[in-house]
Amino acid sequence: MFKKALVVASTAAVTAFSGAASADGTLDQVKQRGQLSCGVSTGLAGFSQRDENGVWSGLDVDVCRAVAAAVLGDSEAVQYKPLTAKERFTALASGEIDILSRNTTWTHTRDTSLGINFAGTNFYDGASFMVMKDLGVTSATELDGANACIQAGTSTELAIADYFREMNMSYSPVTFDTSDQTRAGFESGRCDFLTSDGSQLAALRIGLADPSNAVILPEVISKEPLGPVVRQGDDQWFNIVKWSLNAMIEAEEQGVTSKNAKNRTVTGNPANKRLLGAEGELGSNLGLSSDWALQIVTQVGNYGESYERNVGKGSPLQLDRGLNQLWSKGGILYAPAMR
Amino acid sequence: MFKQKTLEETKAAQRRSTGQSSAASFYNNPSVRSLFYQVALIAGLLYFFGNIIGNTLANMEATGIKTGFDFLDSAAGYDVLMSLISFESQDTYLRVFVVGFLNTLLVSAIGIVFATMLGFLFGVMHFSKNLLVRKLAQVYVELFRNVPLLLQVFFWYFAVLASLPSARQSLSLGEAFFLNVRGLYMPKLVGGDLSEWVWVALGAAIVGVFFLRRWAKARQDATGQQFPVFYASLGMVIGAPLLVALLTGLPFTIEFPVLKGFNYFGGISVIPELMALAIALSVYTGAFIAEAVRAGVQAVPHGQTEAARSIGLREDKIMKLIIVPQAMRVIVPLLNSEYQSLVKNSTLAAAIGYPDLFNVFVGTALNQTGQAIETIFMTIIVYFVVNMVISFLMNRFNNAVALVSR
Amino acid sequence: MNTFKPAPDRAPPSQTVGPIAWVRDNLFSSIGNAVLTIAVIALLVINIPPLISWAFLDANWTGTTEADCVKEGACWVFVSAWSNQFLYGSYPEAELYRIHLMLLVLLGVIVSSFTLPKTIRMKASITMWLALPVVGIAVLDGRMLGLPVVSTDLWGGFTLNIFMAAASIIVAFPFSFLWALGRRSDMPFIRTVSTIFIEFFRGVPVLSLFFMGSVMLPLFFEQGTNVDKLIRVWLVLIFFMSGYMAEVFRGGFQAVPSGQYEAADSIGLSFWQKTLLIILPQVIKVSMPNILATFVMLFKNTTFLLIIGIPEVVQTLQTALANSFWLGGHALEGYLFVFLVFWASCFGMSVLARRIEQQMNTDKRA
Repeated sequence: MFKKALVVASTAAVTAFSGAASADGTLDQVKQRGQLSCGVSTGLAGFSQRDENGVWSGLDVDVCRAVAAAVLGDSEAVQYKPLTAKERFTALASGEIDILSRNTTWTHTRDTSLGINFAGTNFYDGASFMVMKDLGVTSATELDGANACIQAGTSTELAIADYFREMNMSYSPVTFDTSDQTRAGFESGRCDFLTSDGSQLAALRIGLADPSNAVILPEVISKEPLGPVVRQGDDQWFNIVKWSLNAMIEAEEQGVTSKNAKNRTVTGNPANKRLLGAEGELGSNLGLSSDWALQIVTQVGNYGESYERNVGKGSPLQLDRGLNQLWSKGGILYAPAMR
Repeated sequence: MFKQKTLEETKAAQRRSTGQSSAASFYNNPSVRSLFYQVALIAGLLYFFGNIIGNTLANMEATGIKTGFDFLDSAAGYDVLMSLISFESQDTYLRVFVVGFLNTLLVSAIGIVFATMLGFLFGVMHFSKNLLVRKLAQVYVELFRNVPLLLQVFFWYFAVLASLPSARQSLSLGEAFFLNVRGLYMPKLVGGDLSEWVWVALGAAIVGVFFLRRWAKARQDATGQQFPVFYASLGMVIGAPLLVALLTGLPFTIEFPVLKGFNYFGGISVIPELMALAIALSVYTGAFIAEAVRAGVQAVPHGQTEAARSIGLREDKIMKLIIVPQAMRVIVPLLNSEYQSLVKNSTLAAAIGYPDLFNVFVGTALNQTGQAIETIFMTIIVYFVVNMVISFLMNRFNNAVALVSR
Repeated sequence: MNTFKPAPDRAPPSQTVGPIAWVRDNLFSSIGNAVLTIAVIALLVINIPPLISWAFLDANWTGTTEADCVKEGACWVFVSAWSNQFLYGSYPEAELYRIHLMLLVLLGVIVSSFTLPKTIRMKASITMWLALPVVGIAVLDGRMLGLPVVSTDLWGGFTLNIFMAAASIIVAFPFSFLWALGRRSDMPFIRTVSTIFIEFFRGVPVLSLFFMGSVMLPLFFEQGTNVDKLIRVWLVLIFFMSGYMAEVFRGGFQAVPSGQYEAADSIGLSFWQKTLLIILPQVIKVSMPNILATFVMLFKNTTFLLIIGIPEVVQTLQTALANSFWLGGHALEGYLFVFLVFWASCFGMSVLARRIEQQMNTDKRA
């Protein structure tokens, strides 16, 4: 009897699900709700942070805002759901959020075994080391036997294990729950070095009592391409998120900024006009209005603007563009052709 | 309670006999009703769990999440800060589970011992003649009982232990004990040939103490003469292993911690995460135990103290021999639940990165494998079983201290 | 006739009265005590002056940004700038009156359930308590009342700790009562199920239950339905609390004299009449101190929500500490603030619990 109930219940659940999925894509749900539900980090300097007025900002947050601008025409129509590293994929799978934009590393395992799709990369990062100057260490190869401060639940935890095994060195991992605690542990001398993604190291470094006392070692031990994630099985939505991000990058390539975007719809070259919806059908192919990219650029800005505002020269983090520069300027950012 | 139950039973019996005479009111028959309620409950539960399991299976299939316990055999790929058995990053998740479980047991055991000591100390201090000491006990209880444990864990770890000196400026005691921000380092005895006989002797001594106590108690019951059990036991426990060690030619070397490169190596090291968590758990739970002890002592009638004074016992003996044993009847059931909550609260290790079961398994393993149901389920079962064991032992202990009415 | 006139009392020896004697009796009655006294005083003298100068004399009180913290001492600017976040989360400022209203209503219900006339007290207060979570959600969310909707991802801060604790214990109340009854039941299956339920939720760490709420529960619902994270955690807390409260009530049931049951039976009350009208009021009364203690425990445990990323007060504090415009290290000020807020409320409640206990003791004697 129990088994029968189980079978009945599960088939009921399956049919209910498939019915729901075919009837209502994520795009329709978002439009109906009038708000985009976006999973972000609970607090990560420069990427997703809440200020004292409850306003969210950051590079990851800007992806949410861009999608909201493209879909709803309003970059503020976003519900931010702060998620821990552990629950992020479940939240996405259960439909609690429409996009996960929470500095998530694009890995093969995640892409293939968790029922998710990575919609691109909005930040190329890599795990690195920070040490105190007075330790006299200039290279990661001198760290044999040292203690490592790591933030729990990051892919860095795996990367550092691999690195030390490969180099035949030993280390003790001291894991902390939040970045603030990791910094406190490092500062107190609990560990000899702190390892995290390069962008986070920069944020942690300026939080030190004396930032000039710490140096970031040259080694980068892993590839950490961070990007927005969507559920598998909704290709339209996947395309919208992918091309919203690409539109920001393409806008920078074309020199379209939040200030000149309006004018470029009239005065711009054909590529500008195609991007901003004055010509062509890029918007309707995505199921969006023709001015989708115009909305993104005027409300959120192009990638370069977003970068400088959140993590670059316009922010306390002062990160260089590095890999995240356009391909034409020495980086690896490259948007597929907008045509 | 028993009385009223039997009453209800007789009433039920009466109803049953009257119910049989009038067939119309069979639904008033208590046994029919109880059967109906229970069948309804079973059906409800079956529907509920069937639904949940069905939904879960469907959900996991739809999102492509793996199921089953196969992941236990695959390599974990990450390192663990502290383990009582050897562990490398290529060991399996199952081993991670065992490592975490042992770490949980360790911190819980340390916490229980120190919480009990602190609790009894401050509980008895409440009755001190010194006003300041009395106030100190009160402040301790009210301060630590009323602040979330999470904040206390943070306090001990980030405010107290993190302000210790760095490894190179360690506080040291005779170049054998070192205390720094990375933990406490102590010398370790390393056994050579024949050293196992010393441990055998220690075991024998402990068994001997057990029998000595029984003998001494029997003798005191019979003759009224007291035997210095404490000193005799101490002598046995220290003397027997020492004697064997001397006979076998001291088969031990002492390994001192030495500063090599970044850290001290060798000896026994206690990481600050363990210290902070153990301190926080003992201080927090100690405050509750102190309250329990206070309540227990207050529950002992004052006449007991007066009677003890009248036969000329010293004040400290009154507390030890008369008051506390009687107070134990009130204290032990409370201790039981305090110990259980201590074990449960040890999951706060996650906040400061002590690698307990919860942290390494529901934390990192869940994060790396994504198999929420399996990891959480396994962990919950372990905590549940540990608490059942504690409850069982404490109930045995409770029966031992319960007042035997003659 | 000569009457006996007692001579006036002689003053007691100067060493047994007055401040000197008091000090001697209480502080220096023996050598050990004297040493203890001096140690305690020395500890206070060493620690208090630097603390005062850090927290008050050298502290920064005015300003709105980190740059305003120029002096050596505490940067209270951090706390004041973030105070809205710490207390209310991201709840819109224009709607804050709703939170204040609900706090007042909560307070009102508490006060009135002790002060209403005895004839209606029990009925009225039970109704009010049970209505409270519904009213609370309606007001705070606003959907049902036509107010602007404030979705749960904006709720946060210390008031979230209060509301989560209050809402779970209130909703758990009737359930725990049923579980306690079930555990006392004569029906073997019902008794077993109740016992397993109670022991399960008492035997596992609350943190693992929170993880269940955040990671496992979404899988339990039918695909396509997603239940808000806060609601899921609330559900879990209700289960958790009903396990604990069931044990509190079981103690209460045992404390009610069996004569009460027999008397109720003898006047022919049905099982539910007997339980609800005669036994329950007495159970609630004797369990009151334990209910409060359980509430304090729950209230403190709401800080564990930090670990699953619910923006309660400690989580908000950590968010603030990670903000790139406040990276100057204000952990001490922030945690001190949270500590004081929690300590004051928990201490207040434990004092209240003791009051109630004493009141009940005198009732018994009278």
